[in-house]
Amino acid sequence: MRNTIFDGQEAPDFALPDLHGDRIRLSDFRGEKIVVLAFLRGFM
Amino acid sequence: MARLRDGYSEFTARNAEILAIGPDSPEKFVRYWEENSLLFPGLPDPSKQVSRIYRQEVNLFKLGRMPLNAVVDRRGFIRYIHYGYSMSDIPDNETLLQVIDELNASSE
Repeated sequence: MRNTIFDGQEAPDFALPDLHGDRIRLSDFRGEKIVVLAFLRGFM
Repeated sequence: MARLRDGYSEFTARNAEILAIGPDSPEKFVRYWEENSLLFPGLPDPSKQVSRIYRQEVNLFKLGRMPLNAVVDRRGFIRYIHYGYSMSDIPDNETLLQVIDELNASSE
């Protein structure tokens, strides 16, 4: 089952540490910035 | 990624941020970010929990994870999503910037 995330739906929130160890939470951008999410393949 | 790197200033000029999420370890991320002079946040997701939540496709015949790109508006809603069908099936910056321009114009 794919494409269960669709245009118009609320983006599932998440939090991950960045490369400096700071926690980045998607919902922290609300009211501030538009966010482009780029899910990578993995470095070759 | 090179595309997003080269166009990054166009995104920041529109008050947009890029978050790059990948399955590699933090160590590999740091090396890759340094080697490629990337300025936007890199978010290692070695447990692939976020990748799973967003249903990033793993295609064993195509040797791995397929690219997935999305634009989230300031209210936290998905306004564009693209599931890549091959490793090179990634939206160009113009497509993403146009979505962002429309969101900014409607001042959602």
